[in-house]
Amino acid sequence: MSADLEAPPDVAPASVADGVRRSLDPRIIQLERIVGFIVTAGLSAGLALAVVLTWLAADSAWIPRLLAIAWPVITGLLAWHSYAWPAISYRHESYVVDHRGIEIRRGVVWQREITVPKSRVQHIDVSQGPVERRFGLGSLSIYTAGTDYAMVALRGITHERALRIRDHLLPKEAEDAV
Amino acid sequence: MPSERRLHPLSFLFAMAGQLRQFLLPGLVVIFTAGATRGEWEPWWMLALIPIGGAALIRSLSYRYRLDETELVVRTGFVFRKERHIPYARIQNIEAVQSVVHRLLQVIEVRIETGAGKEDDATMRVVPVGAYQEMRECVLGSRHVPLVAASETGPPEPGGTVIFRLPGRELLLSGLIDNRSAVLIAAAFGLVWELGMFDSLFGLLFGQQASGRSFIRQTLRAIFRGPVPSLQTVAFTVAAVSALFAGVTLISMAWAYVRLHGFVLRRLGDDLRAEYGLFTRISTTIPLRRIQTLTILEGPLHRLFGRAAVKVETAGADPDEQGATGREPLAPIIRRDDLDNLLGQVLPDVGFGTVEWLPPSPGALWRELRRSAIVASVCSLPFLFILKLWTIGLLGLLLAFAAVHARRYTASLGWATHDGAVLFRRGWMWRRVTATRFSKMQIVALHRSPFDRRTGMARLRVDTAGAASEADRIDIPYLPAAVASDLHRRLSAEASGTSFQW
Repeated sequence: MSADLEAPPDVAPASVADGVRRSLDPRIIQLERIVGFIVTAGLSAGLALAVVLTWLAADSAWIPRLLAIAWPVITGLLAWHSYAWPAISYRHESYVVDHRGIEIRRGVVWQREITVPKSRVQHIDVSQGPVERRFGLGSLSIYTAGTDYAMVALRGITHERALRIRDHLLPKEAEDAV
Repeated sequence: MPSERRLHPLSFLFAMAGQLRQFLLPGLVVIFTAGATRGEWEPWWMLALIPIGGAALIRSLSYRYRLDETELVVRTGFVFRKERHIPYARIQNIEAVQSVVHRLLQVIEVRIETGAGKEDDATMRVVPVGAYQEMRECVLGSRHVPLVAASETGPPEPGGTVIFRLPGRELLLSGLIDNRSAVLIAAAFGLVWELGMFDSLFGLLFGQQASGRSFIRQTLRAIFRGPVPSLQTVAFTVAAVSALFAGVTLISMAWAYVRLHGFVLRRLGDDLRAEYGLFTRISTTIPLRRIQTLTILEGPLHRLFGRAAVKVETAGADPDEQGATGREPLAPIIRRDDLDNLLGQVLPDVGFGTVEWLPPSPGALWRELRRSAIVASVCSLPFLFILKLWTIGLLGLLLAFAAVHARRYTASLGWATHDGAVLFRRGWMWRRVTATRFSKMQIVALHRSPFDRRTGMARLRVDTAGAASEADRIDIPYLPAAVASDLHRRLSAEASGTSFQW
């Protein structure tokens, strides 16, 4: 894409809009794993409860037995997924910010390349969850007037960088396009 | 400072009627099921209407609006007051509905859309007709941004130029062609009949000995175990089904005639205005530059009669709101010969006649063939239980159809970038051409499924603010990967190069 990415004169060299394809912050892998394990623990506890309840309630013994066998299998699969998937999906996600907007590339199996032109951004949310705060990471939610892609999210960048990208993408002067 | 106005003094009647209408169907169900179950308590549900009606009453009594220089100000509420400012420049569409009752009282219901969401941002139920004229002039007259090619039409004449009218014959034809919803109604009716719902209602209408009920169930039972139904029964069913279909088509034609009666599409400066309706008169004004996408549809029947239909999407239109008061297509039916004139008026800078369509990837045929072959196989699977060995014959038929479909569908696929717009065409039975201007594109996205990657293809989607139905979006499949990423880059550059105008 190099031909398209000649920086216009008004972009300073230190700007966030450098047109370089970047991976996410690698700490997102660990963050996703933590979140994944929390979800796994929750689901696993719920399933365990279901096993106990059916054991107490069911007349036949085979349903609780089946569940008792399924429980460690499902928990194991979920735990493995929570551990392995973040690293795989990390390898497939990247973004480019340039003077025209932002391009996000993601998806392991179903891959997508989404381009949000700067001129189409309606508003932007920068958010930070409790786990994200510990890592100093943030999420960017970009809203457009579109239908399918009314909101495009970018997770796993530093909070500080998310704020800078937001400032870059939002229109500076109060120009009314109508 | 312009003075504040109230709604018409009789507004509260219409507000309450509007609320009651929403409860009409549930109310009827309550009454009929109550009759069937001999229950005594169900009618009391109707008491829930009272607070709802009260809320509508308060809203309409407290409603005030003001036409300022640049914005419309709406105030509602006595206790919880709300003031809403709507700049004229943000108004997407003004729609006015006038039913028979409205006309008797010389009032009109006005809906103003800004593209902010599903709810009508300002529904005025109801204002005097004069107030509506004044409002329309205020809102539409205050905009100064001219359209690209507006100069050639000169200053807007008071009545506007008529783009086309639909005489009664065309309306009947439109009803005949577009009776899909009617077929759905027929199917629903058949289902209700078959399953014996609303027994008390049918009992009331046809007497207790209504025949033909649960015919399908009996037929299925007969197929599974026991003798085949007699020829007489089969003939009766075929006759009944065709009678139902013919009746429904006639109703559809009559409905189109009533609903679209006197359809006129005018151009006033940079606005399009459609007016139609026999009993309920509807007048919609769409500013030309608010059009997000335009779709030309040609079904098999359209082609048979040399007609087409044209739909446009504006931001903020609710795609679910079709039917009695919903949005009609820009041209529910139009002669092929008049199509060019209409397109020239609506998208003057896009020369539809000179578009050079580019094909999908050569591998598209195989992809589509495999896909439809899989669908055909899955569809014929359940028949294994009914038709036994004959399923092979059915599968053969379906596969032959799949082959024809794949060939013709991939031949119909085409895309183009032309005169500042991107165009996409697809479909062989129902042909669609969708166009959107670069300035209306929001996000351009490239999708690569595992199948795409294996065959070196990609799918390109162009998102717009028009809440178009799935079928009317620009979503180009089976592009060669290199072409797709080149187009992706080019379109996103075009999008960022133009500033978006709602």
